[in-house]
Amino acid sequence: MTSRRSTRNRIAVAIVVITAVVAVLVVKLVDIQVVQASSLNAQAYDKLSVGQTLYGARGDIVDSTGTVLATTVIRYDVTASPKDVADFTQTVNGAAVDVTPLQAAGQIGAITGQSATDVYALLTADPSSGYALIIKAIDLDKYNAIRALSIPWLQYQTNPQRVYPNGSVGGNLVGYLGADSSTNGGLEAKENQCLTGSDGSQTYEKGADGVAIPNTLVVDKAPVTGGTVMTTIDSDLQYYSQQVLAQQVTSTKAEWGSVVVEEVKTGKLLAVAQYPTPDPNNLDATDPHFWGATAFSDPFEPGSTFKAESAAALIDAGKATPATQVLVPYRYKAPGGSVITDSENHDPAQWTLTGVIQESSNVGISILSAMLTTQQRYDYMKKFHLGEKTEVNFPGESEGILGDPSQWGEQTLYNSSFGQGVTTTAAQIASIYQTLGNGGVRLPVSLVSGCKAADGSVSEQPSTQGEQVISSDAAQQTVNMMQSVVTGGYAASLLKIPGYNVAAKTGTAEVSNGQGAYGGGYLTSVAGLAPAEAPQYVVSVNLMKPVTIEDGSAAAPVFQKIMSQVLQKYRVLPSTTPAVNYPTSY
Amino acid sequence: MTNLAPAYSPTIAPSDSPELDPFDDFPAPSWAPSWAPGHTPGTRPGIRSTLTLAGNGVLRRRKPKLAYAAVVIVGVMAIVVTQLLLSIGLSNGAYQIESLQSTQKDLGRSNESLSEKIDSLSSPQNLAASAESLGMVSNVNPVYLRLSDGAVLGTPKKAQASAGSLTGGQSSLTPNAAIAGAAAAGQPATPTAAAGAAAVTPSAPPAAAAAATVPWTGELPSPTTH
Repeated sequence: MTSRRSTRNRIAVAIVVITAVVAVLVVKLVDIQVVQASSLNAQAYDKLSVGQTLYGARGDIVDSTGTVLATTVIRYDVTASPKDVADFTQTVNGAAVDVTPLQAAGQIGAITGQSATDVYALLTADPSSGYALIIKAIDLDKYNAIRALSIPWLQYQTNPQRVYPNGSVGGNLVGYLGADSSTNGGLEAKENQCLTGSDGSQTYEKGADGVAIPNTLVVDKAPVTGGTVMTTIDSDLQYYSQQVLAQQVTSTKAEWGSVVVEEVKTGKLLAVAQYPTPDPNNLDATDPHFWGATAFSDPFEPGSTFKAESAAALIDAGKATPATQVLVPYRYKAPGGSVITDSENHDPAQWTLTGVIQESSNVGISILSAMLTTQQRYDYMKKFHLGEKTEVNFPGESEGILGDPSQWGEQTLYNSSFGQGVTTTAAQIASIYQTLGNGGVRLPVSLVSGCKAADGSVSEQPSTQGEQVISSDAAQQTVNMMQSVVTGGYAASLLKIPGYNVAAKTGTAEVSNGQGAYGGGYLTSVAGLAPAEAPQYVVSVNLMKPVTIEDGSAAAPVFQKIMSQVLQKYRVLPSTTPAVNYPTSY
Repeated sequence: MTNLAPAYSPTIAPSDSPELDPFDDFPAPSWAPSWAPGHTPGTRPGIRSTLTLAGNGVLRRRKPKLAYAAVVIVGVMAIVVTQLLLSIGLSNGAYQIESLQSTQKDLGRSNESLSEKIDSLSSPQNLAASAESLGMVSNVNPVYLRLSDGAVLGTPKKAQASAGSLTGGQSSLTPNAAIAGAAAAGQPATPTAAAGAAAVTPSAPPAAAAAATVPWTGELPSPTTH
């Protein structure tokens, strides 16, 4: 019985001990598995998991043929951990070489273009720090070269940067990126919403050697690449226009110049050139005033190119025909006492409306325009969308100044017929000529043809709804009248394009000195259409205050060259009909 | 524990139903004859006989149990081995993926970098300057051949060096800081090299001379007509 009892005791003790141990284990198990489970899991995950940012790059801006005007590239920032800076071993030609921090600084500097002492100073500025920027935004070649040095205390971060492969070609339109989106310029600002991408993120768990453990990759958020802004600009034509304009601006010593090329049948802007134009890669080389597009932002009194609008209004209202006769004195005193003179002294001349256009007579167009009421004149200007922004709505775009017709004095009433007393932007002038060339149908001016999202869908397509501003006949007769400027005006020899009938109008506008008076230079301009019998392209050239030539002859060669290039580039067949030859005098 | 057996055996007799599923955790009780085929109620022995037969029943059970165990062990081992092989394969794949991904990343980066250079080098400024350094000028008098009737529209004229120059020697008027970066970074700067060659032999375009030494490989180009 003793042995049986001791056996029982042993069993009892064993059971108690086992139960106790199991109880302890169960408690611990519950503690780990249930109570602390989530925090322990999190800790483990933190040790294993690697989070990565997936960059959703800012979209490109492209021209009408897909040529990239602005894009995002990856650059690399190189940083060091100064507290870890020490000698390390480098393998050179298969042999291990010991490299000191100063030597390493020299190697880095040789690649980045910094001096060894500069780099070394950065490394040793704060030896306790874990972060020191060595150089920002180096390109891939330099990054690879530095990585090949296998310096253990260097770190690399990617740094997306904006580049403009075509430099100043379209630099006025493309714009620039500021410190934040509110200081962007040009299309970068206007189309910011389309261009902006959104970064995504992914996490995976890594093993001891840093390799991802299979099946642990989780994309938390997919990155979205920004949309592509498709412009109507032709970068080759834009370059040509800028180059030709720049040569003329510098040779005539003008303050600035602008060129607008618009397609008559679509309202698309093919080139919007200016000089000076910023190179968005190197903005600071250009006066900040020219960082935008002057063709939209800088209104001016257009001068005689505006006579086309006055003549078109007269014909459309049935008040005149190209053959309407008018006796034009050099100096005309209006009933209210205002005095208008022509630019050059002449005996009273018997001109037709065509002759008035050809000779660019202020007096002639004023006398004829007086056949329309102030309100009618104003209404025509409004129908041409003057005094309001174009549909482009470019950042900083100006409406121009039309004024309230009830406030127009008699002088303004007459002056406005030849483009003084009202201001327009270069884009508005081009739009007037587009309307005249398109049978009186004004099409919305477009610069951006759409925003193409990463998935290929296109949004923001501009309206193509036209408006009949004047009758088709009035439009074509106005264009025909302007042919006389190219066949017989003062700048005819500079405007002619062999093989084509061209309709154009020169302008030499007095520039306001900003204090309510004129003085101190002229805005010289040419706006025109070709081929005149079936207009396809508008070219409008404006030069502000040229010094060596002070009339439309300054702008004429630019018009002639750019229009020739346009006709050649777009394969417009030479005219087969002779130029329309309305009588200019009677 | 054997001394406890008699107390349970009258009611539950799992041991005397050798053909029960060995994996069945809840063997049918003895009063449920339909679960124990071969044991009709009529032949059911008393308590004593059950006890006597118990030993035999255990002996008879051994063989099938071994077979099952072997199957189970082999199965488990097979699963373990397969799992092991799978995970080896997977981790191998992981390294392969890692290495391919890093290659892809490198290639993507150099692709991006090269496209950037192409974009800059194909900018109109660079093309115009390169073309003019080769002595090319544009002809401002285009002539058209109308395909419908073969008519020549326009009067052919020789291109003029002065009128045909796009840059007019003033290429800095439309600056492009991106070209400098692209030309400096890596790739042999074609325009500079070409300019140098053109300076030596201005009459012979160097590109044509270089092309002549390259033999034609591949099919001869033939026009595609519709």
